[in-house]
Amino acid sequence: VSSGPPHGCTWRIEGAGVAESLPMLACVSSATLHGVEGRPVAVEVHVSAGLPAFTVVGLPDAAVRESRDRVRAALLSSGLPWPARRVTVNLAPGGLRKTGAGLDLPIAVGVLVASDALPAHAASGVGFVGELGLDGSLRAVPGAASLVAAMACDHVVVPDEVAPEAVLVAGARVRPVATLAELVSALRGAAPWRSASVAPPRAVDAPTLDLRDVRGQVVGRRALEVAAAGGHHLLLVGPPGSGKTMLAVRLAGLLPPLTQAEATEVLRIHSAAGASEPGVLATRPPLRAPHHGASEVALVGGGTSWLRPGEISLAHAGVLFLDELGEFPASVLDALRQPLEEHVIRVRRARASADLPARFLLVAAMNPCPCGEGGLPGACRCTDAMRARYLRRLSAPLLDRFDLAVALGRPDPCELVGGPPGECSADVATRVRAARAVAAAREVRCNAEIAVGDLDALAPLSVDGAALLERRIRSGSLSARGLHRIRRVARTIADLAGEEPVGEAHVAEALHLRAGRGVLAGA
Amino acid sequence: MSAPVRSEDDRSCAAVLAGLGASPATLRRFLDGHGARAAWTALARGEHPVDPTGRYRDAARRARPDDMALACRRAGVEVAVLGAPPYPRSLATDRDPPGVLFWRGDLGAMDRGPRVAVVGTRAASPRGRDIAAAMGAGLARAGVVVVSGLARGIDCAAHRGALLDDADVPVVAVLGTGIDAPMDPQRAALRDAAVRRGVVASEIPPGAARARWWFAVRNRVMAALADVVVVIECHDRGGSLHTVAAARRRGVTVAAVAGGADSSCSMGTNRLIADGAVPVRDAADVLDVVSARGGGAASPSPDRSRGAVAGTDDDAPWRRHFDADEAALWQALGDEAVTLETVVRRSGLSMATASAAFERLALDGLVRDDGGWWRRAPRQGGGGPT
Repeated sequence: VSSGPPHGCTWRIEGAGVAESLPMLACVSSATLHGVEGRPVAVEVHVSAGLPAFTVVGLPDAAVRESRDRVRAALLSSGLPWPARRVTVNLAPGGLRKTGAGLDLPIAVGVLVASDALPAHAASGVGFVGELGLDGSLRAVPGAASLVAAMACDHVVVPDEVAPEAVLVAGARVRPVATLAELVSALRGAAPWRSASVAPPRAVDAPTLDLRDVRGQVVGRRALEVAAAGGHHLLLVGPPGSGKTMLAVRLAGLLPPLTQAEATEVLRIHSAAGASEPGVLATRPPLRAPHHGASEVALVGGGTSWLRPGEISLAHAGVLFLDELGEFPASVLDALRQPLEEHVIRVRRARASADLPARFLLVAAMNPCPCGEGGLPGACRCTDAMRARYLRRLSAPLLDRFDLAVALGRPDPCELVGGPPGECSADVATRVRAARAVAAAREVRCNAEIAVGDLDALAPLSVDGAALLERRIRSGSLSARGLHRIRRVARTIADLAGEEPVGEAHVAEALHLRAGRGVLAGA
Repeated sequence: MSAPVRSEDDRSCAAVLAGLGASPATLRRFLDGHGARAAWTALARGEHPVDPTGRYRDAARRARPDDMALACRRAGVEVAVLGAPPYPRSLATDRDPPGVLFWRGDLGAMDRGPRVAVVGTRAASPRGRDIAAAMGAGLARAGVVVVSGLARGIDCAAHRGALLDDADVPVVAVLGTGIDAPMDPQRAALRDAAVRRGVVASEIPPGAARARWWFAVRNRVMAALADVVVVIECHDRGGSLHTVAAARRRGVTVAAVAGGADSSCSMGTNRLIADGAVPVRDAADVLDVVSARGGGAASPSPDRSRGAVAGTDDDAPWRRHFDADEAALWQALGDEAVTLETVVRRSGLSMATASAAFERLALDGLVRDDGGWWRRAPRQGGGGPT
């Protein structure tokens, strides 16, 4: 017993014959959340003689410590006995920090088993997760999908509300219950489980804003299309009112819908952050737009008690939109560099560390200078010092990550009022899908991820195209790193046009879809 | 002016007085009387008649003429005091001359003539910078000393143009900061070139703290030095208007380059013209103004005959064969700077086609890209090198 029970089994040691005086021990399987992953936890409950008391040990956080009161109230209101003896709960392994109210249910079951209100074999091979209400009802817990996946049990008992997402990862092993009383009668064999009725979450393609609402903005629309087709990070530079935000929020609508695997992963992340809608499997790539007041932890993930996924993880497989990029603290922006390169964010804290998925398409919008008018020659009245201070926050390495940087102007009033509506998102998305299919045939996920060494094989240049790039490098207006990015973007543009090899026009357009950097440099 | 020949010590003391932060008029009253050392000692004791309240006493006590002399030597800066050589005649006769000048280079450049101040906004458009550079070059070629302030934008462009011409015509730069004040590398290079080819001067001693009001005060020195003040581009309430006001007080002719009616950085110049400033287009026009004032050695309109402007913008397509895309792009560019967005809208070309055509024209130097703003490149000849 001292080495701990094998995972997933529930057992009890009884004092032989002298039930009142000897201690009784039970062990129940559960899991706790760590980042977006679940970690198995064994809940050991010890009931012994002594003054009535209830203690929880094993690195519980505040929510777990408070479970004492919830569990006791829930048992009593469900008409179940509460042992008037000394109850000690240990959460193993002891070195792992336990978070959240999801351990309420295993503690309650453990107490019932240890106090002989439930037969030991009834809870054997069953994992439990759920928060208890004072009336004995079961409430949803964040990250149910990850928790269920972490428990290697024959059956997993979860609250009704999160049953669909649990079914997504655990299938028929899931046992949904609504109240503690229902669970006890099922465990005693007095009532059947209601398992067959649970359906996985229904796939929902949430409606998005349509590109048709954007009038004019030829360059901005085109940049959006190229960004969606090639997975290129996009920077929009323009004065207030030029439609940067309007364009950026429509990018998610151009991306192809999520695959089943992607959608499941997104659901798991959102559920772990407590940001998912119960019973719904979103197939539209997520769009996250944190405000520039967001802290570094809110953006990349972390936190004091448990490692919560940050905005960049919530944008996994979707779009992260940073409006007013220049207003974000420099430390926050520099934290983005690793996930942009590695598609994962390694959060390291004193108490815990985790690798959170973060593969997102970054769209950022900013004014060219503090007054916002810097794009128009001679219109800006900012001093050089003001401009320099504004731009100092954007480190060159971060700006380098943007394959596309376009300068937007205010739209022409005639187009705004009387002009024809723009092309709708569905048409653009069709072209994006076709271009992505071409890229997929090359066995790259998207063109932005073509390795430098593969560029010559996957994105061969025509003679004209190569000559143009060579001229740009000679004139000093293109760096070696910039060259690779231009070639990837040109590859996407050629894919959109269905042409091979990458020609002069594609390269030229790629160069000018990156010209927004010049506006920032302050011509 | 009681001390016609200033000693080394007297100059150091005068430099100390210049660093007290007094206005030019007050500084001149300090220097009137029994030499700069006497004035400094009196100020430090709080007994100077010009400063009965002891306003400059603390600053005077902190300063040391020896330290000032050392600072000047270190910065390679020399000191000229009003009323004694080598103080330039052109300034000595002004109504509000600097009491002390700190300078590097050849102070004699300030007495060469004719002199034209080319000034304008820091936030200049690419067009304005091109015009300023062409004007600086054209003026230098015609033997005119270009006076400017080495501020970013128009000032720098004008001097860059003037220094581009390898004729032996000096330039004059008047700074609103100490001569050794830190500058970005391009401006510092320009300052060094101006030292080699003429003079860089300032009323402010080396190492002095920057102050905004010095810039406005400095502008009167440029007006005082100039026979003609030309404003290239200026915002509605731009600092160049200080120079214009100072020039008008001195009866110096003010000329201005007109800009688009809706262009923010030409608001000031357009209003100057409406208020009676002489409209000018290029160096040749300015030279006409200079010669109309009877300004010495300038050779009016040296390189072109008025009225027979060689070629218009629209003859560019005949300089080389344009294909259909290039012609459409050229048409769409028009005269002002436009973005790719406008070009695509006007020409109906796709972005890829327009970009490629632009790159081809840029290769031949026919079009330019200034931070995402496309325009036709300035014509060669006429206004000078670009």
